[in-house]
Amino acid sequence: MAGALSDVKIVELGELVAAPYAAKLMADMGAEVIKIERPGVGDRARIRGPFPKDDPHPEKSGLFLYLNTNKLGVTLDIATAEGFEIFEKLIAGADILVHNVIPPEMDRVGLTYDRLKKINPKLIMTSITPWGLEGPYRNWRAEDLTVWAAGGVCVLNGGGPLHADLPPLRTFGSQSGFQGGVHGAVATMGALFARLRDGEGQHIDAPMQEAIAAQLEMTFEYWPYMKMIATRLGQKPLQPVEIFEAKDGYIYLCCIEEHQWQNFVHVMGDPEWAGMEIFANRLARGVNWDALRPMLEAYVSQRNVLDLYKEVQARRVPFAPVSTMGTLLANEHLNARGFFVEIAQPVAGTHKYPGAPLKYEKTPWEIRMPAPTLGQHNEQVYSGRLGMTAARLTELKRKGVI
Amino acid sequence: MAKLPPLSGIRVCDFTWVWAGPYCTLQLAHLGAEVIRIETSTRPCVTRQLPPWPDGQFLGLNRSGYFNQYNQGKKSLSLNFKHPEAREIARKLISKSDILINNFASGVIEKMGFGYAEAKKLKSDIIMITLSGYGDTGPWNQFVAYGPAQVPLSGLSALTGYKDFPPMHAGFSYADPNAGVHGAFALLTALYHRAKTGEGQYIDMSQWECAMDLLAEGILEYTMNGREPVRNGNRDAFMAPHGNFKCIDWPEKIMDVTIDRWVSIVCADDAEWGRLATAMGQPGLADDPRFKTLAARKQNEDELEPLIQKWTVTRTVEDVVATLQKANVAVGAVADSRMLSTDANLTARDFWVYKEHPEVGKRQHAGIPWKMSGTPTEVRTAAPTLGQHTDEVLTGLLDYSPSDVDELRKLGALD
Repeated sequence: MAGALSDVKIVELGELVAAPYAAKLMADMGAEVIKIERPGVGDRARIRGPFPKDDPHPEKSGLFLYLNTNKLGVTLDIATAEGFEIFEKLIAGADILVHNVIPPEMDRVGLTYDRLKKINPKLIMTSITPWGLEGPYRNWRAEDLTVWAAGGVCVLNGGGPLHADLPPLRTFGSQSGFQGGVHGAVATMGALFARLRDGEGQHIDAPMQEAIAAQLEMTFEYWPYMKMIATRLGQKPLQPVEIFEAKDGYIYLCCIEEHQWQNFVHVMGDPEWAGMEIFANRLARGVNWDALRPMLEAYVSQRNVLDLYKEVQARRVPFAPVSTMGTLLANEHLNARGFFVEIAQPVAGTHKYPGAPLKYEKTPWEIRMPAPTLGQHNEQVYSGRLGMTAARLTELKRKGVI
Repeated sequence: MAKLPPLSGIRVCDFTWVWAGPYCTLQLAHLGAEVIRIETSTRPCVTRQLPPWPDGQFLGLNRSGYFNQYNQGKKSLSLNFKHPEAREIARKLISKSDILINNFASGVIEKMGFGYAEAKKLKSDIIMITLSGYGDTGPWNQFVAYGPAQVPLSGLSALTGYKDFPPMHAGFSYADPNAGVHGAFALLTALYHRAKTGEGQYIDMSQWECAMDLLAEGILEYTMNGREPVRNGNRDAFMAPHGNFKCIDWPEKIMDVTIDRWVSIVCADDAEWGRLATAMGQPGLADDPRFKTLAARKQNEDELEPLIQKWTVTRTVEDVVATLQKANVAVGAVADSRMLSTDANLTARDFWVYKEHPEVGKRQHAGIPWKMSGTPTEVRTAAPTLGQHTDEVLTGLLDYSPSDVDELRKLGALD
């Protein structure tokens, strides 16, 4: 059985995470993706690593290798007239263009939907940018952290009231990119579905700032509803919902419903202190957290993570281990589900990667090929698809167009 | 002629609750699907009972800003499954739906009698997804998952935190919306497949696995080099400075508490660092051997960051952002809800939505995080009150007569 998107052809002009992740989601479901990189340097993700044996090498970056599975890789400088002409030929045969070229750069190279629509009226073009294609921040510079902050997430995370001097804290990794990418992919799929009905393409403007501001749990609404501001310094209203150190690692204690707390108390052996009035309900435990915390610390420090976790889970209490990379890779549940996949790439070697985020009954998620080396498919695409001669390829290479 | 939204005509039978599932069906509602949430007053959605509420008071199930954010554009059908008649209504709705969705723990929807085997009998080409915490298979598939616990479970907490501090949370139940939006992507691919082949299918989602997509860098550090990444606050191995810096506090206290304000600054290369130094009025820092190159700045980051904060701390966020963007330096406010509510970009782009709601009036809510040129999408209505569309769905869609509905209501099947 083929992937759900096996008849879909995508051109990607992607750097780092946002557009590459959107295209990866579709590539892993069967779409053909031609990824365009700048000649010579390629995608910025190639220099970010992690690298095997800490040996920086553009073909060995873990981030790049992960984000670009199942893609054909070509090099092309679309800022040159010849390069843009070749780009237009690729667009002529594509269903979707997904890119995260920032607006000032789009202006510089003349990348507009109006221009591409003339070549391919059915084209769906998805522009994933930090701030959007219109609006006062359109041309602002951005990196993943600054957008994560400006979208409203950073302010929520950090050291709490005891560490007010510590700054608002980012979440690990390039999260603006991932969220921009997956939200952009959702809109793209919506457009693809609409095209089955209408027969027309369209342009999608998918800003990362909005993808983040759209998922702030209940925190944003504190302002319009109550004129309050949720920050990292707020006391948690109910407890325990915190990370604790156990004998062999960390565990997240999570008693939100009253019966969960009661069940946990039982697992602790019904200690006398747990019956004290100051811990009588979840709000009291929040107010008297200073008193409760040391009691729990003392108990948890005597337990192993998985023992305690399984014991409370048997009583329907939603604790979780604070997974490390090592415990994830060794995890019995993930391995029974076959989550991690081994991917062999000729330069970087064979490594385990995160696998399918979803399991489909009929249309498989599948790794058909590893991420491309820089320009690996130039000949296959430019000669095989566009009919260029070897001499022409040599000339373009000499000019630095490919 | 105005175009219809992409999912116009697609109906979603929505058994979701809390956040992950509702965030999934919110994307479908954004794209124009008719999303009908099955609710019950005997066990109302957790978010209907959580703050924020107008005036800070819980005065009923329709006033939560949390629920009202993630259920915009949906309908609410209230059923009490203690009554067989209510089950029959759900079965009829499934038979007229394209998508069936839930985010219960694995096996729960089957026990309720609406598993995929049953659903397929009612609608042969139904697409069904279960967004469970752990997935349908594997030895831990019966474990309970709550939103906040999925962040540490995923591995994100072990990677997130200040240097030499224990693991930290992400500050919000990040795995929930992440599961929801990935689930929406999965449903859209399945809809596309069905449109081409006529074939529905079942999709098994583990929120845990889905969150591990987000930490590939950490996982690959381990599989490539056999070691755990070291928590390093806001810093980045390839850029410096890369952090959040303190500015002037909000002048007004809230409930007697001073709210601090911060700004996020990143220099991707030496040239950008030079622009930052100049914008701070200290151009000499650009060529200072301690900071001239990325390697030097990384080496001396403990000295570098206080220098920047010394400059930001006497300025407002707005001042720092304007000054540095003018100098073409990557900067952003560490936006809190108050800043977001008046953010010039989000406002100019009409991101915010203000729909009339019968109990909370017009409130500011986050809208659709994309714009489509050909098939415009919009938030059609405010979130529903509990059971707001029960009569409409029963008489308009499921062929019950008004007197049938009265009867069912008297019976208690529509609570």
